[in-house]
This record gives sequence, C-alpha cells and structure tokens, in this order.
Amino acid sequence: MSAPTSSPPAPATRAPEGGTRSRHVDPTRRQQAVAAWMLALPFVLLFVVFSLGPVLASLGMSFTDMKRTDIRNPFAVEFVGIDNYVKLVQDPLFRKVTLNTLLYLLLGVPLTMAVALVVALGINRVERLKGLLRVGYYLPVVTSIVAVSVVWKFLYRDNGGLFNTVLGWVGIDGPGWLDSTTLSLPALVLMAVWRNFGTLMVIFLAGLATIPQEVAEAAEVDGATGWSRFRYITLPMLRPTLLFGAVITGIGYLQFFEEAFVMTKGGPLDSTRSATYFTFDQFGFGNYGYAAAASYLLFLAVVLLTWVQFRWLGEREAKR
Amino acid sequence: MTTFTRTARAGAVLGLASLALVACGRDSGGNAPTEQGEAIDDGKATGTIEVWAMGTEGDMLGDFAAAFSEENPDAKVEVTAVPWESAHEKIANAIASGETPDVTLVGTTWMGEFAQSGGLEPLPEDLVDPADFYEGAWGSTEVGGTSFGVPWYVETRVLYYRKDLAAKAGWDAAPKTWDELKQFSVDLQDKGGAEYGIQLPAGGTGSWQTMLPFAWSAGVDITNEDGTEYTLDTPEMVEALEFYKGFFDDGISPTRMLDAGELESGFADGTYGSFISGPWHTGLVEEQGVDQDEYAVAPLPGRDGGPGTSFVGGGDLAVFADSDNKESAWKFVQWLADPATQQGFYDEVGDLPAVPAAWETGELAEDPQLQIFGEQLKTTVAPPAVPTWEEVATVVDSEVEKTTKGDTSVEDAVAEMQRQAAQIGTGL
Repeated sequence: MSAPTSSPPAPATRAPEGGTRSRHVDPTRRQQAVAAWMLALPFVLLFVVFSLGPVLASLGMSFTDMKRTDIRNPFAVEFVGIDNYVKLVQDPLFRKVTLNTLLYLLLGVPLTMAVALVVALGINRVERLKGLLRVGYYLPVVTSIVAVSVVWKFLYRDNGGLFNTVLGWVGIDGPGWLDSTTLSLPALVLMAVWRNFGTLMVIFLAGLATIPQEVAEAAEVDGATGWSRFRYITLPMLRPTLLFGAVITGIGYLQFFEEAFVMTKGGPLDSTRSATYFTFDQFGFGNYGYAAAASYLLFLAVVLLTWVQFRWLGEREAKR
Repeated sequence: MTTFTRTARAGAVLGLASLALVACGRDSGGNAPTEQGEAIDDGKATGTIEVWAMGTEGDMLGDFAAAFSEENPDAKVEVTAVPWESAHEKIANAIASGETPDVTLVGTTWMGEFAQSGGLEPLPEDLVDPADFYEGAWGSTEVGGTSFGVPWYVETRVLYYRKDLAAKAGWDAAPKTWDELKQFSVDLQDKGGAEYGIQLPAGGTGSWQTMLPFAWSAGVDITNEDGTEYTLDTPEMVEALEFYKGFFDDGISPTRMLDAGELESGFADGTYGSFISGPWHTGLVEEQGVDQDEYAVAPLPGRDGGPGTSFVGGGDLAVFADSDNKESAWKFVQWLADPATQQGFYDEVGDLPAVPAAWETGELAEDPQLQIFGEQLKTTVAPPAVPTWEEVATVVDSEVEKTTKGDTSVEDAVAEMQRQAAQIGTGL
C-alpha cells in the first residue's frame, strides 16, 4: 500500500552539500534513527516472537513428518523434503477440495461483484433513504457468520424451509438443497454472495463518488446512451476499485470454511469441503507436517490469484 | 527490485535455518513405555492430587471425592472442571509442556494418541483386576498391549423402537437377528405406519459408531492383535457394509443428514420407527413426548441369533507421566474404580459404571431399561486405541457415505478403506 519511492530523490531530502551522496551520517539523524528503532522495538519484538517465528516454524514443519504424538520432543522428527507437498498433490481428497474451492471462488467472486455493482449503481441514483438502504445492505456483513449459517440452514431445509415453501406456491417441488452433491456448493455460494456483497457495495459507492460529474455530462452531450456511459466511462474509471474488490473478495473466498462447517460438515460426499476445511481436519488428526504443507499451498494460491488479478485488472500503462 | 531480492535472500536464509533446526531425526520406536508400571504399596494416599475432569463429571467430582479424603486424611483432591470442547487441546498442551496435573479423565478415543506421545503413565501392576471391568471398556485403555488407565464410566448403543408401532406391525418382541431387524424395519414402515422403518446415519462425522457395530457383530477386527496394522479389508466387513447399505437402497432409512433435534421429534411423530443410539436418548425422546410405554430399547441384534456387538464409549482415568504424586494419584483412581464408589457415582451423577459388580444392586439392578444397557455392555468393542483412529474413522465415514449415497460398490469401498488406512498407519 506504500506509495512508489523509486522516483529520484525529492529536493527536500537532498544533502545540503550538493547533489552527491555522502557516506557521512549527520549525528542528529543517527540519534533519530536510534530513537525510531527504540520506539519500534516493542512491536518488532512482538512481531518476531508471535508472528514471524510461528510462520517460519510452520514453514519448517511442512517439510517434516511431524505428528501429534511428537509434541513432547518436537525436534525429534524426520526431515522429509517436499514429500508432504507431493503427497498432497496426489491425494484425491485434496484434489477434490481444491476443485471445490476453485468453484466457490469462480462462482462467488464475479457474482458478488456483479450484485454489489448493480446495487451500488442503484443506490447512487436514489436521492432519498440512501442511508437506510446502505445500512440495510451492509447489515449481513456485520452479523456473525455462524448465526447466518444456522439461519440459512433452516431456509434451505427440504421440508418446511423457506425456499422450498416459496417454490411450493408455484408448484415446484424443491430439492433438499444441502443434501444434494450438485446443489450444496452453489447454495453456499448464494449465501456468501448475500452476506458479503455489502462490503463491496460500500467500496463501489465510494469509487462511484470519485467519478467527476463533468465527464458523464460531456458524454451525455455527445449523445452517449446509458449503457455506453456505463461501459466507457464508469467501468474504466472504477477499474482500481474493482481490482481492490476482486482481490479482497477472492482472498476471502479462497479461505471459505465456516459456512460449510456449520451447514454441511463438508458433505454430502465431500462436495462442500474446502481447502481450509481439509487443513483444519488434518490439524485435528494431528498430522501437523501435512497440514502445514496444505496451508502453504493455500497461501501460494492466494498469492497467485492476487497476482493474476493485478495482471488482468491492474493499470494498463503498467504494461511495457 | 533490490529490496525484493534482499527480502527473498533473507527469507531463504531464515527458511534454511529453520530446516536445519528440525532436521534432527526421529528415534526408533515410539515414546510410550511397553510394560506395566511397578506395583504400588497399600498405604494411604498423601499430598495434593490434582484432577482434571470434563462435563458433568468435572462439576460433581469435587464434592464426591470428599469421601476419599475422609479415608485418606493426608490427601487432598483438587478437581478442575475442563469443558469437553477444549479438553483435548488442554491435555495435549499439558503433555507437551510437562506441566501436568496428576490425574485426568480421558475420552476413550484419545488414549492411543496420549499414551503414544509418552504423556501417560502405564498402569501399575495389580492395581485393579482387568476381569472386574467390562471387556470392551477395558480394551479402550490398552495401547499396543499395555494398559494406560482404568475405565471410569461407559456408554453403549442399543436399538430404540416405537413399541406401539411395532405392535401394530405384529411384533411383540425386538428383533434378534440381522434378518429379523431388516424385516422388523420393513414392517414398521409398511404395516406400522412409520415413514422410515429405521434411522441410520448414511455417512458423515461419527457414522462409524453406528456402522461398525454391524462389522464387529460379523466378526471384524479393525486392527491386528498388536495394533500395528489395520485389517479392514475382510469378507466380514464387506458383508456388514452390504447389510448396512441395504437399509438405504430399500428406502427403509433416509439418506439425508438430520438436523439437531430432528431425530427425536421424528421418533415422537412416527416418522422414524426405530434408531440406534446411547443412553442419553431415553431422556431426549421422553422430552419430545414419547411415553415410557410407547417405546422400548433392546440389545443390538446379532448376525444370526447370538448377541450383537455394540460400540462402547465413555471415559478412562489416567495418570500423567509428569505427575509428581503418582502413587497417591493411582490410589485415587483405584478408589474411583471400586464397585461401591462406582455405584455411588451413578446415584449422584448418572454415569453408567464400568464395573459389572456395581450393577448388581440398587436402581441399576432393578430398572428394566437400564438392564438392557447392562446386558449390551457385556458384548461391546471399543474402537482401536491407536493414535490415528480418528483419522481412519473419517475414512470409514466417507467410504460408507460413498456406498449409501454414491454408486461405489461395497467391495471397492472396503478396499479403499483399507488402502487409505494402510497408508495412514496405526501410528504404533
């Protein structure tokens, strides 16, 4: 999130002797540096001990065969190289959960973004009750995911669930949403869209507010229709906002877990088991090395996804 | 760009350093002792005995143990109640850090793991007589042939059925064989008016607890004698799973996963004619308005007439290897396993005693419903006490689900169970 700093040094920071860089360090500046480090020290220490340390330890762990029964002598384990990673790639269940996670991502992200954009455009146009609508759509985001999942589980019930009752009014015999291997994942996606689009809507609203009115007016004068104004003005000007939205939603969806944990326990037939769920299970079984490897693969996937999104939606002029 | 390479280099160095740290190599063999501990003397217990117990037991044990302190005036029992949800982690952390209490209640399925990690003390020679306990319950304390604790209380699964619906279908007694059970469920459905004759879990977490009793009844041993290898791929296993799957294929049992409370209300309104569960369900179905004379419990039917084998769960008492008051800790465990204490604990808490002698007098001997549980407890098997059982159990769950909901054949499912179980290994 930091601003680009590779540009030539700004005049203010140039040494007073002239343009050449000097090895000599001003004593005041050194004192300031020491003070800065002193002030940063508590954070740095906490970060190293409680964040960086465990992260590196878990990375190390992913290259060993560490199991739960090794807890009394954690260093007396075998180094197994990339065996855990190889085993993961060959594990049919891991392949299945990867596929589930990808499906969840591919269905969920575009849908959430589309819904959020439509709602944001709509709210942007209304004059009255804007605040109320904004709060209403944002409300699901701040509700507990577990509470939401429990309620939606009831909505999806085969007999007496809201969805099937409503379908029954028009003469359709609704399926058991969460008992079907094909429908359960889309059902979870639908719930996730409902719950998560509020965040994006708020972000998109802010993005829309930055589009200068004059541009749209100029286009209108030139005879652009509503659709072309949206396609050639709103969308391009929203690009950075869309990118941000895609990245944060994507990262969130890649790690989906609670919904499945509460609503389906990963079933039926593992159709809603996600990569995170798989890792959770493996930690539960005490296969610490294997679980650590699985979580690093997920981490790699998040990095990769973010990189791809930056390539697709990032600034055009960044290309050379 | 330079920052990037520098960070990358630093990361690589740190990564390698952490690798060097862990590349120390495993000792051959496990951490668990393989022989029983030395016998302890008959003297009184002394000092402070710290005890961890979960759930109701944790709440009640403190007051209950006052009688022990009366007999052993120099000993003080301090009970800490631990919630079941965090108990596993808490015990594991205690073992890892070496800062343990003296005695703990251990869920029967955790024995293999904690014993194998070296955190539990092997049971002293001659502290109790294994023959005094239900055989299945005793099995849960034995890891690789060595016993690491004493069964404290037990629970087992029996057949619950609607007596009124059964009478309507022409059954005035519970089924005794597998064939009868099948016919019984069909009749409950066709003649008794139940929507489903029986409710069995078609898969999902814990379904093995209902499915494996059929396998045990057919003569399956899940592991070999020493617990070093899984032996799931047997004709008996195929036969049992085939029988189990039949209930779903014929539409006698629903395949969908029930929500919490759905089974009890469904049993009350006649949706499900019967199901298999533990002692806690007597209270739950009566809460839903099923009268005592509208339902009955019965021991699980055997394959051909003999008693059926059921699942036994419950809690074991174990002493930590890092305890600093082991002798007195074992004396406290010995006292809790005494038939008189066990009976007293039932009266106070309602836990079923693990010692058959405690069932011979009082309410346990008179209540006909409790007698069924007592009878069933004589033929039970505990899941294998090996560190990887919970992982293999989920393999069983998911393969069972593949046959009941998917189109995997029983033979393939059983072969796959064995393949994965062999890959996981027992951990002993």
